[in-house]
Amino acid sequence: MGARAANRLDLLQGTLDMIVLQTLTWGPQHGYGITQIIRSGTRDVLRVETGSLYPALHRLERQGLVKAEWKLSEHNQRTRVYRLTPAGRKRLADEHSRWTRLHAAIDGLMRAKGAPA
Amino acid sequence: MKRPGRRRADIDEEIRSHLRLAIADRIARGESPDEAERHARIELGNELLVRERTRDVWPGAGVQRWLQDLRYAVRQIRRQPGVSAVAVLTLALGLGSVTAAAAVINSVLVEPLRFREPDRLFSVVNRPPPGTEHRYWLTNGRHVHEWRTHCRSCEDIAMAENVAFNLSQAGGAERFEGLRVSFTFFRTLGVQPALGRDFRPEEELPADSRVLILSDATWRGYFAADPGVIGRTLRVNGEPYVVIGVMPSDLRLPLGDQWGPRFGSVATQPAMFRPLGQDFSQARPAGNNNYASVVRLRPGVTAAQAEAELNALIAEFVRQFDIQPRPMLLPLHDTVVRDARAGLLLLGAIALTTLLIVCVNVGHLMLIRTASRDREVGIRMALGSSRGQLFGLVLTEALVLVAIGAVASLGVAYAGLEAFRLWAPPELPRVADLHAGPRVWMITLASAAAATVVCGLLPAWRMARTDPQDALKAATRTQSSARRTVRIRELMVGVEVALSTVLLVVGGLLTLSLVRVLAVPMGVDVAHVITQDVSTSIAGYDGASRIRFAEQALERLAGIPGVAAAGVTNQVPLRGETWICQLRDGAMPDGPAAALANFRFVSGGYFDATGIPITRGRTFRAADRGQPVALISERTAQALWPGQDAVGRRVGGCGDSSLEVLGVVGDARADLEKDAPVVVYEPYWTMPISRPHFVVRTRVEPERVAADVRAALHDLNPEFPIGQAATLADIVDRAVTGRRVQMRVVLGFAALALVLASLGIYGVVSFAVATRVPEIGIRLALGARRSALGLMVVRQGLLPVAFGLAAGLVVGVAAGRAASSQLFGVAPGDPWILAGVSLLLFIVGAAACWLPARRAMRVNPLRALRAE
Repeated sequence: MGARAANRLDLLQGTLDMIVLQTLTWGPQHGYGITQIIRSGTRDVLRVETGSLYPALHRLERQGLVKAEWKLSEHNQRTRVYRLTPAGRKRLADEHSRWTRLHAAIDGLMRAKGAPA
Repeated sequence: MKRPGRRRADIDEEIRSHLRLAIADRIARGESPDEAERHARIELGNELLVRERTRDVWPGAGVQRWLQDLRYAVRQIRRQPGVSAVAVLTLALGLGSVTAAAAVINSVLVEPLRFREPDRLFSVVNRPPPGTEHRYWLTNGRHVHEWRTHCRSCEDIAMAENVAFNLSQAGGAERFEGLRVSFTFFRTLGVQPALGRDFRPEEELPADSRVLILSDATWRGYFAADPGVIGRTLRVNGEPYVVIGVMPSDLRLPLGDQWGPRFGSVATQPAMFRPLGQDFSQARPAGNNNYASVVRLRPGVTAAQAEAELNALIAEFVRQFDIQPRPMLLPLHDTVVRDARAGLLLLGAIALTTLLIVCVNVGHLMLIRTASRDREVGIRMALGSSRGQLFGLVLTEALVLVAIGAVASLGVAYAGLEAFRLWAPPELPRVADLHAGPRVWMITLASAAAATVVCGLLPAWRMARTDPQDALKAATRTQSSARRTVRIRELMVGVEVALSTVLLVVGGLLTLSLVRVLAVPMGVDVAHVITQDVSTSIAGYDGASRIRFAEQALERLAGIPGVAAAGVTNQVPLRGETWICQLRDGAMPDGPAAALANFRFVSGGYFDATGIPITRGRTFRAADRGQPVALISERTAQALWPGQDAVGRRVGGCGDSSLEVLGVVGDARADLEKDAPVVVYEPYWTMPISRPHFVVRTRVEPERVAADVRAALHDLNPEFPIGQAATLADIVDRAVTGRRVQMRVVLGFAALALVLASLGIYGVVSFAVATRVPEIGIRLALGARRSALGLMVVRQGLLPVAFGLAAGLVVGVAAGRAASSQLFGVAPGDPWILAGVSLLLFIVGAAACWLPARRAMRVNPLRALRAE
């Protein structure tokens, strides 16, 4: 493969999945819309490259966590819109709790006053 | 489940719509359409890459990509039809040879014999006494009778002996080679007649033994496959025999030596079978080791157990008669194929080596092609191909070449098998059953897979290592990259030369072996002797009349113009050992046997006729009739009375007789490749020979006298069928047929390898010269002599040849050592062979370098420098 496009933050695949699924909790979206939501939702800190997003979306679709269909937009253009499935919701919850635990654990380390035993 | 093409189109559309939305968004935020598009595209990144990676998520993406590579590979091949044709042709030859060799090895060596439960079948042979040089001997009939009566480990045991059948028909007499067998013969092997019935126990005894079973070939050939032949009476050996059965067409019996040493002639399956016609319960348990035995063990019994029991059963005979048989069991399959094994494995190794050379050569051709595709590689990598994908691309190209070659190789393999069937030496077992089964196709597939890897490895590696920057940059290749290419190509040439050297060394060793075999001192005059055998085993002719026949025949033969001398014998030289009894000193009849000797029954003129010199004493004379006399060979004299005069001493005959030695004669070989045996010659009038061989030495070409000889014998008694005449030269020729075929095959492969190697040398030296044209121009401009430049090209072109040659000689000698069972009279490291091969390779290498060297010498320095 050519030089990997690097994100501003190197996201683990599971984390990327979680973020993408989260963007769909507020309603169906197409790929471009998802990138915009992530950008604005993280205050421009996170910009997901299309080279990572679309493989992730299709992976989620293949695993049955999202469903996709072609819709006609306002200007009669075809766009592919993704929707969360019940399985997707469950995965989102699982990933979120895992992320929270991880976050809390690292946070605890960073706040430690002295060297841990 | 979407079709892959559909999905690809969807993904493309999705990405495009993303771009569209992004552009629209930017325009809405105030950018100009051009700016918006530019920024949006930059933000999107490598569109092709995004598409690829998204496609890869779905199954079947890999296959899609591979199919693309496949189509590309086919296009590449069609773009260079000449080179591709050469590659495919050589691959077809290489793969075809391997397939044919595998089929032969499978059919002859691997497949079990076609009998019921063949792993329970064993030959019973005797280990010869220590001090003799033979491998093993046949068995004594009395012993076999003892075994079949009492052996508990044996389910069945049978014996057989070669015999001639003289069939009298309206047109004259015809002779067939067949077997006389115990009644258990077919039962032991596990086969049954296709028509009629098998022998019955009572038919083995003389009274009821005039029954015949025909082989399928005889039934079809001579009796027109008439089922009414069952019950018909035929006149065989002058007596009426009733046909009781016909064997099936797929019966394959061991032939000749495969039964055991010296078991009659090789060549064809037995034509008919009759019972032994002898009561073996009364036979003499000593000497007469003339019967090939086969035993079928009971299930669960090991060969060791059975062997022990067989030995125990004849222990009494051993003690009583002071003989030394040591029966041992050999798997029947092993007995049949053991002699052919080494030679066939060598052929297999040669075929594999040739395939390897072909693959290196094709790899070389592919390397040349990939070297000129640097730009394409750079572009591919820029568009996102990984090195792994490039590697796979080249391997796919190799796969296409190999696949086409493999299809073509089927034709080559088929032709090879047909050729083998036609030209295989007669002593090669099981040639009639040659076929290519599933095992062979597996080997072909595996060879093709291995060939793909070997062909594609180096070019693929080189392509994967290309630096995309360099590749896209220069219009022409850089000097360093060219030099690297030359190095790799020289390496490949070195490998090709090494492998060719190995084949040449082995071929040279085999050739020299053949020369040495033909040059052995045979002890006879090969050039002017013709032999003719006659069957006299016809009822109504007793011993005395057969001896009289021989006498009269000798008189007539001596009278033929062009005949210098005539003699008679029971076995001619160079036809193998036979009539073997123990050699004893006549003065000590109860003493130990000095060795095993061949006994011959000859006329006084025999030695003159064959050209065997009489070194001491004299030959038989008419006056010697009635006296117990003999002549012995030099080796016999050495064995019995070393350093002393043998004339006048007494030697033991085949029975219990004691014979006076009248003279000593020169040694004559019975086998070309073995030392002359120990021989005792008794006068022909003491033993009626059922198949006398008349030996005639001619003053002119032997062939010209053949018809007269035949006519003289026929006129004497038309009832005796006359066999094939053969000159001693013919016999020698037949004996080396196997060797000759093997040598030719190996040399053929070696020649192919040499051609491929020389093409490789030519190619790399041409390439090297082409890349160094500017340098040559500079040298010329600075005053170098053209001839010196030419020499430089040749010298540098020969460098990889020299390395390859050195490596090849080492491996070649090792290969010769591994194949030493096939060599005769020549050491694996024979310096003449090594020197000859080296010289040949240097000449070929220099010749291959000559054209490019001439081109180098013709370089126009002005043009060369300008081009740079």
